[in-house]
Amino acid sequence: MRRARRLFGLAGLALAVGPADAGSVWVASQQGARASRIERPDGAPAAEVAVAPSPAVVAAGPGGRLYLSHPDGRAITVIAADGPTLQWPVPGQPFGLAADPGWRFLYVGDWSGNRVLRLSAETVAAAAEVAVGPDPAGLTLGANGRLYVAEREGRSVGVVDTARMVRIAGIPVGDGPFALAHDPVRDRVYVANVRSNDLTVIDAGALKPVATLPVGASPYGVAVSPDGRRVVVTNQHAGTVSIVDADTLTVAATVPVGRYPEGVAILEGLAYVANWFSDDVSVVDLAARTETGRIPVPEGPRTLVAAQTAPVSAEAGG
Amino acid sequence: MRRVLTSLAILFAAGTALAHGPTPQKIDQTITIRATPDAVWKVVGPFGGIGAWHPDVAKVEATGGDGAGAVRKVTLKRGGTLVEGLDEWKGAERTYSYRMSDPDLDALPVSSYSATLTVTPDGEGAKVEWMGRFYRGDTGNEPPENLSDAAGKEAMNRYFSEGLKGLKAKLESGPQR
Repeated sequence: MRRARRLFGLAGLALAVGPADAGSVWVASQQGARASRIERPDGAPAAEVAVAPSPAVVAAGPGGRLYLSHPDGRAITVIAADGPTLQWPVPGQPFGLAADPGWRFLYVGDWSGNRVLRLSAETVAAAAEVAVGPDPAGLTLGANGRLYVAEREGRSVGVVDTARMVRIAGIPVGDGPFALAHDPVRDRVYVANVRSNDLTVIDAGALKPVATLPVGASPYGVAVSPDGRRVVVTNQHAGTVSIVDADTLTVAATVPVGRYPEGVAILEGLAYVANWFSDDVSVVDLAARTETGRIPVPEGPRTLVAAQTAPVSAEAGG
Repeated sequence: MRRVLTSLAILFAAGTALAHGPTPQKIDQTITIRATPDAVWKVVGPFGGIGAWHPDVAKVEATGGDGAGAVRKVTLKRGGTLVEGLDEWKGAERTYSYRMSDPDLDALPVSSYSATLTVTPDGEGAKVEWMGRFYRGDTGNEPPENLSDAAGKEAMNRYFSEGLKGLKAKLESGPQR
């Protein structure tokens, strides 16, 4: 606790001299039990927040808020923009997270409970739940209040109508779907299939798979650029990322990164890749298709999120 | 396997997961060998040839050679069979990567793993690195002691360590250096 406060103090100081409202990337380190904020692609993390043990997934919420899931600890950490780090008990094995843009709800996948919980984004109280396919991994929200769930042991993506909290469809994908990302420009969902080593492209309007692209070994993370033109897939076991051209649906480049790349986030033409084994974040220039840097982070970085506003303000230093 | 998980669920009523939700674990072991990298790779490189150097291995059934998608079924002397699929094999770089196909808690108390074995030059000799990632045998929130993170770490470290020691012994004692 004392250490957490000290880290908060550091965070406050760092942010006080940094660009307050520029975009940044947060990375969750599972073994290190830290959330780290990266502001510049060429520097060390600008801030570090100590959290409860073993955070797995980080998501951005309302007002610069951050959420982290702790599947081993039955909890969600909330890092508020203007307050302390809070920990909320959540039933089951919370893993995948998605915060709705209306800022009302946080969706949480319960890995071993085969369900998705809907929590109040304000109080993190469970308000509703829906049964989904086996081993829900990644979650992402799309258009029309639809939530897409990578059902890892179901070879499917579950589609939940969040207005009614009903699973309205199960879309067949590859083997071992783990991560997914929605592209609002083309209304597509891209799904990384860990065991079949490919990427399924789903037409979200038609709720149908439209293409399957081979990528590298163990695709484990996926992100779409804001303009929808590029999709970045981490190949965990190959130590590379595949850059996919969304127009032609072909792999435009395969770029070597660190060891066991997992989560990926895109900010301003750069992909940030969490290298779980090598304890750093690779920065990949998507136009040049090369790795331009490595940023050391606390042990076991697993997921990243690009956030547009500063979740920890200078006042948090008290 | 399914029977094992079912009985665990009954015994511990802790919601065992079939795959892995919680915290992955690292394994990373290296050994130096007084032999050229090429000589080491000749022994350790063939995916189906693990029985020639790993002292814990009783029998190997391999299909697919060293091509991606090759499979080796490794039966251990103490019991249990590891079924492993080859992801990538790069002879020029003296490295290959593989992953577990189906868990066998009798062989290793882990529910999933992937690993990479690499041979690099080290002075006059060679260095072999065997590294990977795995999840404990019971990925539920209250794993029994024999399927915990600690049990998985101990077993994986022992298996990798025994293998590397066996490889070193074979290469350093043989007639060819």
